[in-house]
Amino acid sequence: MTELLKVQGLTKSYSDKGSWLNKSRTTVLDSISFTIEAHKTLAVIGETGSGKSTLARLLVGAEPASSGSIFLNGQELKSGSYKHRCQHIRMIFQDSGTTLNPSLTIKQLLDEPLKLNTSLDEKKRTELIRKTLQKVGLLGDHMNFYPHMFSGGQKQRISLARAIILQPQVIILDEALASLDPSLRSQMINLLLDLQQQMGLAYILISHNLGIIRHFSDEIMVLSLGKVIESGKTLEIMTKPQHKITQKLMMDQSFQLRAKKLKK
Amino acid sequence: MNLLDIRNLSIELIHDEENILAVDKVSLSMKEGEVRGLVGESGSGKSLLAQAIVAVLDDKWHVHADRFHWRGIDLLRLSMPERKAILSRDVAMIFQEPMACLDPTTTVGEQLAEAIDESQLSGFFWQKQQQRRSAVIKLLHKVGIKKHSECIKSYPHQLTEALCQRVMIAIALARQPILLIADEPTAAMETTNQGQVFRLLASLNQLKNMAILLISHDLENITHWTNTITVMYSGQFVEAGTTEQIFNKAMHPYTQALVDSSPMANLHLPAKSRLMTLPGSIPILQHLPIGCRLGPRCPRAQQDCVKAPSVSSFHGHKVSCHFPLLQNPKLQKASRA
Repeated sequence: MTELLKVQGLTKSYSDKGSWLNKSRTTVLDSISFTIEAHKTLAVIGETGSGKSTLARLLVGAEPASSGSIFLNGQELKSGSYKHRCQHIRMIFQDSGTTLNPSLTIKQLLDEPLKLNTSLDEKKRTELIRKTLQKVGLLGDHMNFYPHMFSGGQKQRISLARAIILQPQVIILDEALASLDPSLRSQMINLLLDLQQQMGLAYILISHNLGIIRHFSDEIMVLSLGKVIESGKTLEIMTKPQHKITQKLMMDQSFQLRAKKLKK
Repeated sequence: MNLLDIRNLSIELIHDEENILAVDKVSLSMKEGEVRGLVGESGSGKSLLAQAIVAVLDDKWHVHADRFHWRGIDLLRLSMPERKAILSRDVAMIFQEPMACLDPTTTVGEQLAEAIDESQLSGFFWQKQQQRRSAVIKLLHKVGIKKHSECIKSYPHQLTEALCQRVMIAIALARQPILLIADEPTAAMETTNQGQVFRLLASLNQLKNMAILLISHDLENITHWTNTITVMYSGQFVEAGTTEQIFNKAMHPYTQALVDSSPMANLHLPAKSRLMTLPGSIPILQHLPIGCRLGPRCPRAQQDCVKAPSVSSFHGHKVSCHFPLLQNPKLQKASRA
């Protein structure tokens, strides 16, 4: 299979405040390179401040990268070409409740990306919104509701609808599953897996929950202080973590411990 | 003797037209030195229950119970000030989001000093300042903060979330409680910090024989740390038993669904297979189903489920369901009869 998204030497650094004589720079991400294929999921793990969220922000273009390049289907994404990028790379945030504008109906919310990125007329847009809402397990009539009328799990589904309405190829999930209740979370995981199969989506999953990562992802990338310290197939890294920090992360969730306890 | 023994506690929200029953006949008992988990998804009334135990609910909420005993004392017969005096001496509570719960305008040291009771200090008034300070430092050492002089001087926003939670625990420990109620102590915390807080609580439990009621919305997060677990759903009691019983031999369809839906518990499942889920979502308080509140979502629901089930006990494993999942055929017969 061909590569869908290819990242080469992605670096992000900020210049520190301070006197203009001794300007120093802090590197948040240090030449990250990876590739993803369609239908695959890449999980990114790491401690706080390891640069996971910065990586997500760079990929969607919320911040310009200091150096390095991102290729989508072999085509380079420059920091100016947001129109092309936001059609193909979409993001879902951790707190779905606060990322939806409370003063707009669901229809208006989902209409916005369509108005900006497509040349469909109003009738076709409404039809597409209806279809997308049904795809994520809501009703078409929900489009006239306001965000506060939905529960937490449904709001997360609306964020997902907003992400997939432009038929993207890559979706970035930045802790999107962390704040959900367990029964809703497994519903959401099933929905994401279904959509991956139907639409051939590639996911970049940023998460702490190793159980979800084991279940959901094909590959893992472990970040620490902006550097990739370990990457490879999920099962290999989960069973035989090589690097010290990876081992610590696995131990912290008492992952192996619990597995043993259950076997008894 | 049970430390805490609550039978059929109900909490009602007083409302103009109609009272809303937020917590419906929940029983909870705790032994001394026990770590009990209280699990329920959002809106299951677990935090309300905790607040009712420490009697901090305001007049809008109406609490009544069939039995409410604390170490053999019937708290329902006591007046509110007497009840509060006993509870504030023996029970302490820590809350989620420690940073938001600490006072942002005073230093950590002052907040800790405030929590230390006058009766714990001996000596003359000119010695008390010094004694208070050493008591604060001792508390900080107890929760594993070694750099006490820096910590005392700093404001909550200068500390990390895990350190703030440690300070909260230190404040809770100031009066040497017998029961510590931890309401989602690790919500929105990094996994490494979560481990630290849980380990601290576990060590306090073992060293001081302090009972802990650990409240969480996630079953898989706390199973490692608890002896017994009580599960609630939408304000109703679901199931109670030892961690083993709940995790490996769940009797209630809801508990079974919780265990099945956790990818952590089902390591034998092939990757990317679909997880077991319950359809639908948690009912909101204004539109609660009658009878068993799980009814509309339950895979085993039958006509009887429009009546609220009574609690039946199987060797200390309590379950509130008309049609429990029983592995043992003998028990199945007994429950039908």
